[in-house]
Amino acid sequence: MERAKWIKGLGFMSVVMAGTVLTACGDDGNNNTDEATNGNDTGTNETENNANQNEGQEEVTVRLTGWQSSPTEQRYFEETIAAFEEEYPHINVELDTIADQYMDVLRTRLIGGEAADVFFLDAFEAPGLIEAGVLEPMDDYITDEFDVDDFEDPLIDAFRRDGQLWGLPKDTSTLALFYNKDHFEEAGIESPPETWEEMEEYAETLTDDNRYGFGIVTDLARLYSIAESRGGDVVVDNQANFTDPAVIEALQPIVDMRNEKEIGASPADVGAEWGGDMFGTERASMIIEGNWMIEFMEDAFPDVNYGVVEIPMIEDERQTMAYTVSYSMNAQSEQKDEAWKLVEFLTGKEGMEIWTSSGLALPSRQSVAENMDYADDAIYEPFIEGASYATVWADDTNLPIINSNFENQFSSAFLGDQTLEEAMEEAERVANNEIQD
Amino acid sequence: MAKWKLTKSQLRDAGQGYLFMSPTIFTILVFLIGPILFALYLAFNNVNLLGQTSFEFVWFDNFTRMASDERAIIALQNTAFYVVIVVPTQTILALVLAATLNAGMKGEKWFRVIYFIPTLTSSAVLVMIFMWMYRPDGLINTILSSVGLPTYNWMNDPSVALISIMIMNIWATAPMFMVIYLAALQGISDSLYEAADLDGASAIQKFWYVTVPLLRPVTGFVVIIGVIGTFQLFDQSYMFSGGSGGPNNSTLTVVLLIYQYAFSNNQMGYAAALAVSLALIILVATFIQRKLQKDEQL
Repeated sequence: MERAKWIKGLGFMSVVMAGTVLTACGDDGNNNTDEATNGNDTGTNETENNANQNEGQEEVTVRLTGWQSSPTEQRYFEETIAAFEEEYPHINVELDTIADQYMDVLRTRLIGGEAADVFFLDAFEAPGLIEAGVLEPMDDYITDEFDVDDFEDPLIDAFRRDGQLWGLPKDTSTLALFYNKDHFEEAGIESPPETWEEMEEYAETLTDDNRYGFGIVTDLARLYSIAESRGGDVVVDNQANFTDPAVIEALQPIVDMRNEKEIGASPADVGAEWGGDMFGTERASMIIEGNWMIEFMEDAFPDVNYGVVEIPMIEDERQTMAYTVSYSMNAQSEQKDEAWKLVEFLTGKEGMEIWTSSGLALPSRQSVAENMDYADDAIYEPFIEGASYATVWADDTNLPIINSNFENQFSSAFLGDQTLEEAMEEAERVANNEIQD
Repeated sequence: MAKWKLTKSQLRDAGQGYLFMSPTIFTILVFLIGPILFALYLAFNNVNLLGQTSFEFVWFDNFTRMASDERAIIALQNTAFYVVIVVPTQTILALVLAATLNAGMKGEKWFRVIYFIPTLTSSAVLVMIFMWMYRPDGLINTILSSVGLPTYNWMNDPSVALISIMIMNIWATAPMFMVIYLAALQGISDSLYEAADLDGASAIQKFWYVTVPLLRPVTGFVVIIGVIGTFQLFDQSYMFSGGSGGPNNSTLTVVLLIYQYAFSNNQMGYAAALAVSLALIILVATFIQRKLQKDEQL
């Protein structure tokens, strides 16, 4: 009897061990199956090649991994790819979309040697992958004809490291202030705010029982340029520097708008999924959001009468954020030449024009931006203007750690559980502790 | 010595036995023993898998690092708090549910089915439904405010978020244990209740002095499985916080932390060390529990 119990105990123990350990080793299991599938893929491609010999050139399949945030985006993207395949009939593009946790999946695939030949890479995550040595430097592929100087400098610089180029920015997005014209009219406000003080004043007038004057998104990705607007630096020498008095002073108004003045709230406060949802359902009269909102508003809330202006000035200076994503090449790719052809086309003048004509993202090439006629469009203008002075959301290898610690602590200060100073001290301490390890 | 020598037929028998077992043995070696040993190996190494794969033997560095890793400590506190609340609650709830369903009410078969449905629902679907109900303007707050009770920001208030997950999980797992209790209840002989009746015991006394003691072995099982399951909380808090463990680390659990280190921070060695430590913690908790139970039996 005693013994039987012991054995049962052991049984439990092995269940426990297996459960926990399998979590940690999940990727190993996946590798095996992935390899197996890949083996099959190559097999089918080869048979296809034999069948399509009439092209004269051997057919090659290039895999491209990215994310798609809407069906419209998917449609435009497929159109761009189709244009590429028409120009290079011997190259097939196999598109595969990662729906969630893009970087975790991509990293795991890179570890297993199963990543696509070309993939999207956010500037924010780029330094980590460049350091790991899994990307293919692009300098040797670039021809004069490609005109690499045409890219906006801050955007392309996000992918430069150690004197080499590791990705080409596919497009960019910037932030601007969306305001609800009907709410403004109701409240008797004639023009959108020019300065931050004006904006707070308007937000107070606009706030009523059903809505807040200002919607606040609390990510560091959104607040970075605001945090630096009073002369502070959020990141110094690849370490968090949140306790800089100038940073705290710049962020304090954001927290006060919610807790002291009660004129602002986050989307989560009102049960909205994200800023667009909050603004679209008219629970915020003003919100700082990106150009991706334009298409969303058209689709989901066509009746909301809104306008867009540049983000109000802080200390007489304009600031906004710019986000960019590159096409980067896998260092382990077996068809780098064809992969480069794809990148060259997608980031070239022709490909970028097809893609950015969707209006979902702004071109990262000056020449394309000039050719697009939306520079005169009142809705797009603030975003284009913003690109000239925007802070690019990218820094160095530790930005992801700095970011997650900021979010964790800032959100608690934002909810009023601790003061902003306490939160920033804690965030800085934990982040830098984690960095040293 | 001669005792250990096997005859030809015995050898053949043994060979046959192992042959039949070989698929299972192979599977266990590859998918259970192998990964466990590999994880142990990883736990003592500084591992980099991305780019240049490297293993650097670092002795106990990964384990000593935990002491100064605040997020590991927070994760352990959250998990322990979660275990301490959820295990007793779901066990008691399961027992009460099972006892009511065994009392011979009308239509109790239907109730059994209805109670069991949460267990059949996939946890991802369950979390989605609860997250929707937990919204500030969602069903739960609407009900609370309509009866004049205070409302909460269930998902975004750090002091409430973990409790929201607890409620959801108790609701989802209690029926599973209820079924186990129900099976055990039906094994209790009616004669014991008859004897209690003759002695003039009330319904509550019968429950307390007959049912509960006789169910003790099953309770031991339910508690151990509950402890193991709750220590390994992952999917609910992952979905709740979008993988971050927020707000303010309030839904960060040990397994979620392991996931973050392994797949987001590319520190497989440290993640393995955390996994091994968690296994040890659960092992110790299980043994303590069994020891306590044994004492009671004596």
